[in-house]
Amino acid sequence: MSSKILRVDMSNLSSKWENLPSEYETLAGRALTSTIVAKEVNPNCEPLGKFNKIVVAHGLLAGTTAPSSGRLSVGGKSPLTGTIKEANAGGLTGGKLARLGISAVIVEGQPKDKKDWYSIIIQKDKCEIKKTNDYANKGLYELIAKIWKDFPSKPGIIGCGIAGQRLGICAGIFGNNIENSDPGRFAGRGGLGAVLGSKRVIAIVTDDTKGERPEAKNKERFENGRKKFVEALRKHPITGDLKDASGNPFGGLKNYGTNVLMNILNEAGALPTRNFSSGRFEGAAKISGEAVHELVDSVKKKFGDKSEGTYGHPCHPGCIMACSNVVPYENSGKHQTGCLEYESAWALGTDLGISVLKDVAELNRMCNDLGLDTIETGNTIAMFMEAGVIKFGDSTAAINLLKEAYNEKSITGKLVSSGALVAGKTLGVTRIPVVKGQALPAYDPRAIKGIGVTYATTPMGADHTSGYTIAAEILGIKGQVTDPRTLEKSELSRNFQATTAFIDSTGYCLFIAFCILDNDDGFAGMLDTVNGFLGKDINLTDYGLNVLKIERDFNHRAGFTEKDDRLAEFFYNEPLPPHNVVFNVPDEEVDKVYKNIGWIMQK
Amino acid sequence: MIETHLYGKLRSIVQGSKPNEDTIVIYEYKENETFNAFIERLGLKPSDLGDCFINGILAKYTDIIPNGARIGLFPFNMVLLCGGQHLKGHGFTRLNFDINYY
Repeated sequence: MSSKILRVDMSNLSSKWENLPSEYETLAGRALTSTIVAKEVNPNCEPLGKFNKIVVAHGLLAGTTAPSSGRLSVGGKSPLTGTIKEANAGGLTGGKLARLGISAVIVEGQPKDKKDWYSIIIQKDKCEIKKTNDYANKGLYELIAKIWKDFPSKPGIIGCGIAGQRLGICAGIFGNNIENSDPGRFAGRGGLGAVLGSKRVIAIVTDDTKGERPEAKNKERFENGRKKFVEALRKHPITGDLKDASGNPFGGLKNYGTNVLMNILNEAGALPTRNFSSGRFEGAAKISGEAVHELVDSVKKKFGDKSEGTYGHPCHPGCIMACSNVVPYENSGKHQTGCLEYESAWALGTDLGISVLKDVAELNRMCNDLGLDTIETGNTIAMFMEAGVIKFGDSTAAINLLKEAYNEKSITGKLVSSGALVAGKTLGVTRIPVVKGQALPAYDPRAIKGIGVTYATTPMGADHTSGYTIAAEILGIKGQVTDPRTLEKSELSRNFQATTAFIDSTGYCLFIAFCILDNDDGFAGMLDTVNGFLGKDINLTDYGLNVLKIERDFNHRAGFTEKDDRLAEFFYNEPLPPHNVVFNVPDEEVDKVYKNIGWIMQK
Repeated sequence: MIETHLYGKLRSIVQGSKPNEDTIVIYEYKENETFNAFIERLGLKPSDLGDCFINGILAKYTDIIPNGARIGLFPFNMVLLCGGQHLKGHGFTRLNFDINYY
């Protein structure tokens, strides 16, 4: 099946099909979105103007039988950071685009007339730009239900919600879940929802009827690799099956989701609490993954089959790690929100001093409904608390504040959709936890200095997923190095980021890392699926480094230098309890991450 | 005294414990007791455990537990993930590790 690019021009409401250029043959996911953005978008363009583009690309193995490989990347110039941006999510759309043979969808231009709203309907060899004014200003729970009524083939849906339609720069790109019961599969970070909204596009609907499964070039290698990899994933205590042979909870991710981290980071004293003022939260256990697990079980006992809560839920078809969940309303068993990830429970709970699970879940639901990135929104609400507008821990006030974002005329609503930096500065806050304009996620860099270096140096702004530490193993130094401090730290950080960029391009969920860290057969199986699919061996590190180079170069052309690779001032001089540490990695050390390979971004 | 916080399956050491509340047991301090000896005292073995902490620092089995320590014990299926992996240097999840390479 040949690969195509679908190019949609919103300036003249037209579309065309292009053959995938041969130089893009091995590119997919983040590698493809960043390559196209870097080539076709002027780094100095206004992100919400007509010269920015949204690029949607499935991962390399999406739509195949490789486990947990159906992730989707969305790229563009971020209106939140001004940098290049790639955001990544599960959902239905990645696999469906792959089965239609569409490597990327590029949405460019902007209608002159800002009156109407449109949706892009993609089918086999067909694209329609449809006027859909009836989709505008709707909460996303209602919208996705309506779209499946309009399109009964159960399509993948991505797009922007109310926040993106109103150009709120912390609006994400939503995605429907497998059952279409929740819009919460977000490519959340960086405000790409506002970029789509600026093009007057609400939804991209992908119907893969008559599509075909992509086939590997070396079927035998792919299939052998796939089997080894599946076995490794299922047996591992983190990625493995829900229960063991005796019926006891086994796989950590299936049982507790990413929110297993709430208690662990709290114990480590690295859980940012009340706008990064402490590393421990007294209410952590109440909003942890164990708390959600217990709630789902108790509600199931009460309401039986009518209960809609669950854990061990896959975020996309074919995911066997299944770390997603649905939090139910305790008094009815009905679906409150999905998924409540660690990052969301942290941003809307711990960072705000809120320890009531149903209120954290309600804030999560509202973010999903409005189309807002939960991490950025939580940090933004924290600015209102830091400024004394509302109190830390006041969940009723936080919910009422977020409700303002539904009101088109509310200035407060616009502010809460504008990200932590804008809100913080407007409210006179000086402790604003951002890097390159994007708010920090749920790991305090004073207690975890390695993540601080990642926050500072990734091209994306403060991002916890950019520097997964599996690089050492993948680079083959596992077993050869017992003390990572003997390695140049800058080399580790750079290679972590490169390896993460590679995985972001394969379509694999980053969480495969926890299994392949420990299981060499699993790692070999994963590599065989990639190289078997492509029909050739690729150099993983070079692949990832090339993605980083493209991204860093874009940022440099946009005016960024090493001076932007820094954390907010208070991280350097405000000790974090309980360890009472500051971020004391010298600037020269941070700069070495890229300087050591000659990538210098001075003006 | 040693203030021990228990998580996941390990909460069952305390009858009536709840997964959405802190489960804390106070154990007697023993001079020069290693972390390995401490978990043996509780009837646990390393294969029962995930990432554990002594005063918020990742525990190694040879660490001596100080008096007044806060210990966090996580079961085998609860470990540092995502950004938390940076606390384990280059990220061994179940083997010996060095911590926080910065």
